[in-house]
Amino acid sequence: MNKQDYRDMWVYIEHEGGAVHPVSLELCCEIRKIADAAGEKLCAVLVGDLPEEELDRIRACGVDRLLRVRGEGLLPFSVDAYTALFTALCEKYRPTAVFVGGTIRGRDFAPRFACRLPTGCTSDATELVYDPKSGDIEFIEPAVGGKMMAVITVPVMRPQVGTIRPGTFKYLPAGPRPCETVEERFDFPPEKIRTAVLGFEPEENDESLNIADAPVIVCVGNAVKADALPKYRALAARLGGKLACTRPVFDRGLLPFKLVIGQSGAVVKPRLLLSFGVSGAVNHVTGITDSEKIVAINKDPDAAIFHYCDYGIVGDMDEVCEAMLAQLGEKV
Amino acid sequence: MLNILVCVKQVPDVNLVRIDPETGSLIRKGVPAILNPHDANALEAAVRLRERCGGTVSCITMGPDQAEEALRECLAAGADRAVLLSDRAFANADTLATSYVIVTAAKLLGRYDLIFCGKESLDGATGQMASQLAERFDASQLSCVREILALDEEARTVTVTRELEHGVETARAALPCLMTVEKSGFHPRIPNLKSWKASRKAEILRFDSRSIPGLDPAQIGDPGSPTKVPRTYPPPVGEPGRMLSEGSVGKTVETLFTLLGDVL
Amino acid sequence: MKKLSARPAAAAEGAETPAGSRIDCRPFSTYAQKGAITIDYNKLTPALAAQLEAVVTPARFQYGESVREEYGHDEMPIYGRRLPEAVCLAETTEEVSAILRLCSANRVPVTVRGAGTGLVGGCVPICGGVVLSTARMNRILSYDMKNLVVHTQPGVLLCDLAADALAHGLMYPPDPGEKTATVGGNVSTNAGGMRAVKYGVTRDYVLAMTVVLPSGEIMKLGKTVCKTSSGYSLLHLMIGSEGTLGVITELTLKLIPRPLRDVSLILPFRNIAEAIASVPSIKLANLDPQSIEFMERDIVDSSAAFTGNPVFPTVVNGREAGAYILVTLVGQNEEELTLKMDRLAEVAEAAGAYDTLVVWTDSLKKDVWAARSAFLTVIEAETKLLDEMDVVVPVDRIAEFLVYTHDEAVAQGVYVRSFGHAGDGNLHIYCCSNDLGEDEFKRRVKKLMDACYAKCAEFEGQVSGEHSIGHAKKEYLRRSVGDTAYGLMAAIKQVFDPEGILNPGKVCHDL
Repeated sequence: MNKQDYRDMWVYIEHEGGAVHPVSLELCCEIRKIADAAGEKLCAVLVGDLPEEELDRIRACGVDRLLRVRGEGLLPFSVDAYTALFTALCEKYRPTAVFVGGTIRGRDFAPRFACRLPTGCTSDATELVYDPKSGDIEFIEPAVGGKMMAVITVPVMRPQVGTIRPGTFKYLPAGPRPCETVEERFDFPPEKIRTAVLGFEPEENDESLNIADAPVIVCVGNAVKADALPKYRALAARLGGKLACTRPVFDRGLLPFKLVIGQSGAVVKPRLLLSFGVSGAVNHVTGITDSEKIVAINKDPDAAIFHYCDYGIVGDMDEVCEAMLAQLGEKV
Repeated sequence: MLNILVCVKQVPDVNLVRIDPETGSLIRKGVPAILNPHDANALEAAVRLRERCGGTVSCITMGPDQAEEALRECLAAGADRAVLLSDRAFANADTLATSYVIVTAAKLLGRYDLIFCGKESLDGATGQMASQLAERFDASQLSCVREILALDEEARTVTVTRELEHGVETARAALPCLMTVEKSGFHPRIPNLKSWKASRKAEILRFDSRSIPGLDPAQIGDPGSPTKVPRTYPPPVGEPGRMLSEGSVGKTVETLFTLLGDVL
Repeated sequence: MKKLSARPAAAAEGAETPAGSRIDCRPFSTYAQKGAITIDYNKLTPALAAQLEAVVTPARFQYGESVREEYGHDEMPIYGRRLPEAVCLAETTEEVSAILRLCSANRVPVTVRGAGTGLVGGCVPICGGVVLSTARMNRILSYDMKNLVVHTQPGVLLCDLAADALAHGLMYPPDPGEKTATVGGNVSTNAGGMRAVKYGVTRDYVLAMTVVLPSGEIMKLGKTVCKTSSGYSLLHLMIGSEGTLGVITELTLKLIPRPLRDVSLILPFRNIAEAIASVPSIKLANLDPQSIEFMERDIVDSSAAFTGNPVFPTVVNGREAGAYILVTLVGQNEEELTLKMDRLAEVAEAAGAYDTLVVWTDSLKKDVWAARSAFLTVIEAETKLLDEMDVVVPVDRIAEFLVYTHDEAVAQGVYVRSFGHAGDGNLHIYCCSNDLGEDEFKRRVKKLMDACYAKCAEFEGQVSGEHSIGHAKKEYLRRSVGDTAYGLMAAIKQVFDPEGILNPGKVCHDL
């Protein structure tokens, strides 16, 4: 395999109901920078159709080429069809890298087509760096439960495949560039699709569970006592915000998964985040770094969270919460 | 007769792993090796399915000799047989090389209707093994399974519910099918003394690179792994924030609120 | 000035007699008379506060407004809260000595506090004054590998000592459920815990200590040897004295080589009576179990809901389990343990256990013990009002006592949750209510406890197995041991602490 034979960096455009998944736009914005550093073109790979304004949003991220695929058996999504499709596309166009949003779908099919090609696949990088010497992308990710950072490369094989969790990168469109559209036809025999969706029960849209856009967030960590949760909920409500938690709180069955902040959960960007009893493991911290102001309260003066906050208070989380409620004129 | 395979991994209990502050490397000394927790859930799902529909549950792992303990744990918890793939040549494998070895060996021992594996490992946590095993077994693929609703052995399909981002999907897949399961529905059981004792005595099938016919040396271990880890380093930490302490909690909060001003 | 009474009337008359040389010829039972004693404590003056601050440095001193709320209560707030006037976080024996000297001279009460995890108000400064925290005396000083002892400061947490000892290939056997208590607190309450059935209690592992007397005098008690026949054991008087006789500032604790292998076994039973009935035969089976715990189904269910992990099976071989016995066995190797497990399974089956489940792997052990350790947290989380009993009854009376307690609780309209150490008859019984008012709850729980402690006495049991007396169980202690014994305790207190400044109002010290 000659690496020089591979050109362009690809981003798979995941979409549903006529709207692009935010992670695909975030990836276009981030890969634009990597592609510039590498002198490569950025190509968005779209399967099926989207309204023109959604296409404009993709182009606005600085996409050089839109590879639009139409054909039989591609919609709705199936692992079988998309594995075959991306294997075929990669063999034909030879991209140097393929990025896929780390949604359940993306995580299902990306490692599979990487295996079929075969090539190397990485998951959950939180930082991407182009190394001009080797021409490789460094996928940097937290490892061993966030205790260390690992640099992963795919030094010999191409394309370099990576799935990236939603919210990892910022949606900051660089503005449109001249963008060509390339049409591609790919048919996948429907009888070769081995899975069928029989039904879908949407989760009740509970607004209190949507923390991604909350202006204020009160986040509780594993130190929280179950009986103290109402206090934190009250504080969040009083500040016009929402309650959230870290992964271990969900694991204890105290709060639903939708309220988990971090790499495997939601990425939040409130103007104020009050973090109570959170130790500050990297996997959680990746979800809060976009917050404007962070206040951390922890009993342990050496807790890592104090390195990520604007203001820190060493103390009993319940006492501080009660004092805040009192200060805000709420009865405790 | 249903033939079920569960692919498992022995991992260090990463919660107990410490980082050497000098070298930045992992201190594994004294850290117990455990069966990857998600794999225990996968095994539980497999054993429950066998209890419902009959058949055989086999477990397979690739790892050092000590990984035998993880397999005995699977046997105690209901697996019928266990296979250990152990060879120095398998070391430093990424998911591509690991899935190659596991599937090549597993295929020697039979054909499988259902394959289960954990959704990710505690240590590597790539979550890629399921897809790559499914690919190499040429199986259909169902992730995030919450409940197995039905298994139709005549039509050779399995029907499940899956926990997706925004709701619960009911899906059907053709056999052979590879599944990952959600933890909440499949808490592992505690074995009774009888099955525990049987698991301690059970014979474990062992293979090394030479005893798996047709294994391509270029596709195993480090040479067979397209991804590399050139370096690791401790997570960067920023400067600590401004620590507030005004004597009493009330006063500290008052100061904080003043500092926050409009943000509040 | 707050008027409080804590000094014998006789001594008050002879107020000019220097402390320590009073002659008192009253019968001991008179020490047990309420109101027989009066003492005036002084409030902490700013001047004294400044002196104390100078001893421990400003960073380790809290005074007035800055005193944190947590210093006013332990984990059983139903017995009342009271903030101290100041908190000193001492780091050395010399600092403790200086603090006590100052407080003695000014007759200001001093209440020693470890991690504040007690359940009987033992560390609550009910007369105000100074709380002396040992939380910063948290260094494990050294190991003597030849004599198998560890020298430690009292503020080291039990979990940290246990882990550190294991890392040295040793084990500190006492294993109370509350792992974040301090070792000093454990010694002061003679904590027991799960492994007491095999290894005994904290008292059995204390070889020596450094103590500061209320006067500030520093004293060493005990030696690093395992035998002594050398006069009254002041060491053993200090153990379990709940900070009323002196302040422990250093400890020498006995360790044992860590057992090479251990396994826990869950025995599900139809109900608590059948579960408890199995205990004598388990003890007779020559297995030398490290612990024999019992738990009722409802607390197991609550714990499963709380931790999100239903680790204890509720249906076993098609039958609903109503109670569980959890046995831990230790041995040199797997063969030895297998033999012991076989034996246990036979005994369990004969006793009606539904099955014998083997908790062998580290992950399962962690889950099972996490569920077991969460019991108190779970009860605290789901209960508005809470009180507890920590009685010890003969093992063969456990089931009877529990049935009696449940019936009495129903009669009083509160509900109880119970678990505990089946191997030694030490029961943790929590009285709970979510709908009563606090006063009504206290009134009813008092009736319940009066009845239960009377029943406990009838069964020849003890008021407290390991949680101690504090100020919450004083009355029951008096009833249990009788006026003479209670008076002897009070007289001993008087000898050690003539000014009555150490943890006033606790154990046998009447105000």
